[in-house]
Amino acid sequence: MKEYNFPLVFVLGAVIAAVVIAMSVVFLLKAIKRGKQIGMTNEQFKKAITTSAVFSIVPSIPIVIGIGIMMQLLGLAIPWIRLTVIGALQYEISAVYAVSDGAAELTAGMLVSATLVMTISIISGPLFNAIFYKKYQGKIMDLQVKNKKKMDAITGSLLSGMLAGIISAILIGGFFTLTNTKADGDSGIVTNGSVTLITLAVSMGIIAICGVIMKVFKQKWIENYALPLSILGAMLVAFFIHPIFVPVA
Amino acid sequence: MKKDQEILENVENQVFDNTEEIQNEEANLIENNNVDDKKLEGQIKYNNDIHKFGRIFTLIALGLMCFVPIFTAISVKSGPDWGRLAKTIPFTLGFLAIGLIEAFSYAPLLGVGGQYLSFITGNISNLKLPCAINAQQVAKVEQGTEEHEIITTIAIAVSSIVTTLIIIIGLIPLAIYQQKIVEVLKPISPYVMPAIFGALTMVLIAVYWKNSIAPFLLCCVVAIIMHSIGMGGTASISTMVMVGMVFSIVSNYIIYNREKIKEKLVTKFGKNKSKHKDDVTADSSEETELEKAETKADSSEDLKVEKAEAKAEDEIRE
Repeated sequence: MKEYNFPLVFVLGAVIAAVVIAMSVVFLLKAIKRGKQIGMTNEQFKKAITTSAVFSIVPSIPIVIGIGIMMQLLGLAIPWIRLTVIGALQYEISAVYAVSDGAAELTAGMLVSATLVMTISIISGPLFNAIFYKKYQGKIMDLQVKNKKKMDAITGSLLSGMLAGIISAILIGGFFTLTNTKADGDSGIVTNGSVTLITLAVSMGIIAICGVIMKVFKQKWIENYALPLSILGAMLVAFFIHPIFVPVA
Repeated sequence: MKKDQEILENVENQVFDNTEEIQNEEANLIENNNVDDKKLEGQIKYNNDIHKFGRIFTLIALGLMCFVPIFTAISVKSGPDWGRLAKTIPFTLGFLAIGLIEAFSYAPLLGVGGQYLSFITGNISNLKLPCAINAQQVAKVEQGTEEHEIITTIAIAVSSIVTTLIIIIGLIPLAIYQQKIVEVLKPISPYVMPAIFGALTMVLIAVYWKNSIAPFLLCCVVAIIMHSIGMGGTASISTMVMVGMVFSIVSNYIIYNREKIKEKLVTKFGKNKSKHKDDVTADSSEETELEKAETKADSSEDLKVEKAEAKAEDEIRE
């Protein structure tokens, strides 16, 4: 919707993007400075920066696609801001639908209401950080100093829980939608279980091959790029097999 | 007499060497403690600094985010539709609760810097956390150390910069070829999570397989039930992450404390009393054996020292 591309909101978007970049740069420099104080090497920083930059490219593309999907309803500026700061396509689209009841075009009142719902709903996490996180983190650090084993067990449990939750959702969701060709009502995206499971398997396979190349042929450089390569390879396979399982109507 | 003097000198030298060794050890210990204190002091200072900047940036970002509905209202010259807003209260409350739970549960995984950055830039489970885990593996840092925290912050900061720039760059073709780009790339967007977590699972499973089995099976059961009763949409990745974390904390608590829990249950219900008694007897007999062996070793060492001293004294007397 061209009429929703307000210059004022674009300027706000630019300021927000600048703040996000400034915050990241400040934290990056402070972390490097502290790292040097405790004897970390430039090599470690270089590796962390390079791998993180390469890793972030592929998962960022769906965020851009998300803006493309949302701009059909909200114009370009609002989705840009919403997906630059804490927000996700599914949640933002749900907020729009909660306000509009699925109306094809938003009225001015609906648009303002949608942006208000999106803003209020995500406020609790950052607000918690601004008010309570320092105290909470102090307790985490106390536990880390007093009982490292216990803290490691908690961290390990949270990480394994996250992994277990995501993999079970992907696997079981995949098995229950093996032949699905219907689009999701809100976003209009089709998630086919067969493609999901094949993508998962391909990603596992590529990283396994990278592991073999690294160990057997002693190609250590591959370690830094194994994960981004696996993601990119799996996404390419998904791109080519999706039309086979979900023929275009 | 000459022999006596030699023995005396030897004993004195030994005593001197031992004292010097003890003094060196004490000096090393004090030095190590000083280094640890300095490191802890530095870490606290760094954390306070990050908290200060984190809070400032969070409040600035929150303030700017709040301008979005205000600027939109000014631009369209209209206020919100209050009736429709009222209808969305359950939706808003639900997301407010999820935000709080996420802030609590992700905190130990993201570290101080990562927590502030992630809760401004979002995309935690699908981008920031996997990116941080990848960087930790590549930089080979031990979990729970300050190095781990530093690498996590670096990874999340770099990831936030890259994503923000990619979004800005992506806006240009989107503005020109919006429909074509969306048509081509839209179908593959649901497959980003399997693409990331297929590979990441292979990396992490070697370390966390023991902790993951029980919560994984429980999550599968929950997901199967949800899909079977037609609530598959609720068993989404974001919901299952929270379910998985709860299951994992509970199941790992049980696994790590199974002996204590077993003892408590036995005491409470009085079942398998004799078996428990046998275990306790076996344990205590093992302990006694160990204690005996230690005492024996200690006493034999003492005896040796006493004997050596007596021998030295005898030699002096002679």
